[in-house]
Amino acid sequence: MTRQEIEALLPFLANDTLQGDERAAVEAAVSGDPALAAELEALKAIREVMQAEATEDTGYSPGEVGLAQLMRGVEAETQAMAPVEAPVVRPVIWQFAAAVLLALVVGQSVYFGNRLNDSGAGYQLAGAAAFEITLVETATEGAIRAMLLAAGVEIAAGPSALGLYELRLLEGVTLEEARAVLEASDLIESLSLPEE
Amino acid sequence: MDPHAPLLPRIASGDKTALAALYQALEKPVYRFIQSRLNDPFESADILHDVFLEVWRSAGRFEGRSKVQTWIFGIAYRKVIDLHRKRGRQDLTDAVDEQIDDSADTELCVAATQEAAHVRHCVDDLKPDHREAISLAFYQDMTYGEIAETVDAPEGTIKTRIYHAKKLLMKCLEGRMRLSGAAGGRAAP
Repeated sequence: MTRQEIEALLPFLANDTLQGDERAAVEAAVSGDPALAAELEALKAIREVMQAEATEDTGYSPGEVGLAQLMRGVEAETQAMAPVEAPVVRPVIWQFAAAVLLALVVGQSVYFGNRLNDSGAGYQLAGAAAFEITLVETATEGAIRAMLLAAGVEIAAGPSALGLYELRLLEGVTLEEARAVLEASDLIESLSLPEE
Repeated sequence: MDPHAPLLPRIASGDKTALAALYQALEKPVYRFIQSRLNDPFESADILHDVFLEVWRSAGRFEGRSKVQTWIFGIAYRKVIDLHRKRGRQDLTDAVDEQIDDSADTELCVAATQEAAHVRHCVDDLKPDHREAISLAFYQDMTYGEIAETVDAPEGTIKTRIYHAKKLLMKCLEGRMRLSGAAGGRAAP
């Protein structure tokens, strides 16, 4: 086994997956070469840090929200494969409502942005997303619009295929104010801060 | 014994609780793997959703020749590649492997690992194929054979990627330590 082959296998000695003759050969090389032994210790240290990070929360990982959406997707597939008794129209309505909502919010942002800029009030978007939400399927466009306006937020991104929306605060609205309104709304299925 | 293997026949027979259990066990590592290739949390969440829907659809075709985790990471890898192809992106890492001839100072590397931010920065700084190989080896503790199966590449290619990834990673850590030393002991940004 060449030096380069041994070095290529060192990470697999560090993660303890190397077996058989290869393990014996690499261990023998390490025991007779302080430089290789030191490199192995460095790789083990790197792995430990990465493993520690792996056990921490992944931040944006969809978690339970993603699981709920997956179950809906599975349910939809199961129903689609079953004998059809009546057309399933709810997803179409939902997609339509989401599209209308997005168009309205974007249009409204442009309108208010132009108006405030004209008056010199200096309207500007607040920047990074403040919340990540999913909505109940029965939410209507009008109700969603009213809720967003009441909370002082706008849609920054979404919907994703999972139905996730990112919301950001409008100028002058605090995180606590917006969160209180959103948490009180029965249209919200889940709400989280990106850092949560 | 593969701890997830008993779930696959149940999923294949339509048991949604088994799918939920598998999702809860593997969601975070699979998401992290996808995110390491896409660097977009929204797209990564969508791909994760597609991966587990694919598991639901094709659990009956799982033959048990690999670990369930390796099979699922392979599905995730192919979906990421499909997305890259749709966008006309290509990863040319193997064609432009950087040659790092001199060895890194291993003491400085070990010292650098005291700051997780250094490791995170240096892993993120690797090219996608290198980052993927080192991540699967150190986050998921995969064998080189499992990595090769996941990314559908020859084992020799994986060993080469790991070799270069390790060199680049250690050089980066050494550099971060030298930089932070020069900055009076503060971590480099």
